[in-house]
Amino acid sequence: MRFRVLMLLVGAAVFAGTTACDEALSDLTGPTPNLEPTFSSIQQEILNTTDSSGRPACITCHNGNPFVPGNFTGAAAYGALVGARTFEKPSLFRVAPGEPDNSYMVHKLEGGPNIVGERMPRGGGPYVTDGQMLVIRRWIAEGAANN
Amino acid sequence: MISFRPLGLLLALTVIAPQLAAAQEAPPANSASATAAQAAGDDDPDRDFNRSQPDFVVVTLPTTLRVPKFKSAFRVTHRFGRPLGQGDFGNLAEDLFGLDSGAQIGLEYRFGLMRGWQVGIHRTSDRTIEFFTQYSLLQQADHGVGLGVIASIDGTNNFKDSYTPMIGVVLSRELGRYGAVYVEPMWVNNSNLLPSELVDDNDTFMVGFGARIRVRPTVYLVGEYMPRTGNTPGVDHGTFGIEKVAGGHSFQLNFSNGFGTTMGQLARGGTASDNWYLGFHISRKFF
Repeated sequence: MRFRVLMLLVGAAVFAGTTACDEALSDLTGPTPNLEPTFSSIQQEILNTTDSSGRPACITCHNGNPFVPGNFTGAAAYGALVGARTFEKPSLFRVAPGEPDNSYMVHKLEGGPNIVGERMPRGGGPYVTDGQMLVIRRWIAEGAANN
Repeated sequence: MISFRPLGLLLALTVIAPQLAAAQEAPPANSASATAAQAAGDDDPDRDFNRSQPDFVVVTLPTTLRVPKFKSAFRVTHRFGRPLGQGDFGNLAEDLFGLDSGAQIGLEYRFGLMRGWQVGIHRTSDRTIEFFTQYSLLQQADHGVGLGVIASIDGTNNFKDSYTPMIGVVLSRELGRYGAVYVEPMWVNNSNLLPSELVDDNDTFMVGFGARIRVRPTVYLVGEYMPRTGNTPGVDHGTFGIEKVAGGHSFQLNFSNGFGTTMGQLARGGTASDNWYLGFHISRKFF
């Protein structure tokens, strides 16, 4: 009887030790280990920061310059992205809440076949990584909240 | 990098448990009692052939057949990569019904640590390693049904990356000498290989329904279906097949809607409901 109890305890300990098996987000997001699927994090890590891979910050160009559409700096960024029509494809929003596949920001960052002009960031890379794109897509899929 | 805590715990279990089992089964004090103990070992009912449950799995679902203490069994599985519905019959025959395609191969070894308690390891050729254990709580002879608890954990990239633990119950009912039916509710944690921040659901609850029906003295029909809730990519696992038992060997030819053989792979579902793949497994009992 004692042995069976011991066995059950060992089994419970094994299972308890294995239930925290979730992958770390930082393993996926490469050059931006603090990136999370929130607007504030994406603004900090993607829009505002040139990351360690050398991918330039979006606001290097999209900073209110009248010759570059979209001002992604500071408080203007959210309104310029979410529900905002694009200059190149007016039928699309830059970010369509809940619809990453219909968001032109995603098309431009992934270099989709239907984009007008260059893939972003311009200059031939480095581009946003697949892991970073998963985080951006998740934020959009969850409704693109201003969080 | 993922923590190695699960691996450490499982290794500790496999190292410590046999010593505990050996300590519990202390050797007899004299030669007469040693002879009696040897005779008792030979009479271990777990070593008897069970016509209703001739193997430790149906196709992928565990049965309540017990591995005798300190005995073992080996199994090799194949799932060929060509969908049987691809191309016409001539094309399929030219490809020997998928045998010329690549296959996902699994190698499995299980060992009886003590009466009713087995542990095992299963590795598939996509570099997934699964450790599993099963403990028999009830046997049909005494309680009308067989009942066991099962737990497993599989890890991708040779158990270095994504870990998927499972805990569940195996409920069996033998149909005289003509087979058995199974109901196996299971909870699978971390069945999605992405971080939980990026997915809607990271767990899968599934119920395995299985049956093995003896249609000839040594020939069985087998089948499984496994509906799921929670994280449910792909399609629910389904498989059926025919099996021939010969001595300590079992040869099974099966048709499945996916390649999964570990619980994590099964939780992640089959490829498509109209894609079926040829497969087989061969098992050997070492007792």
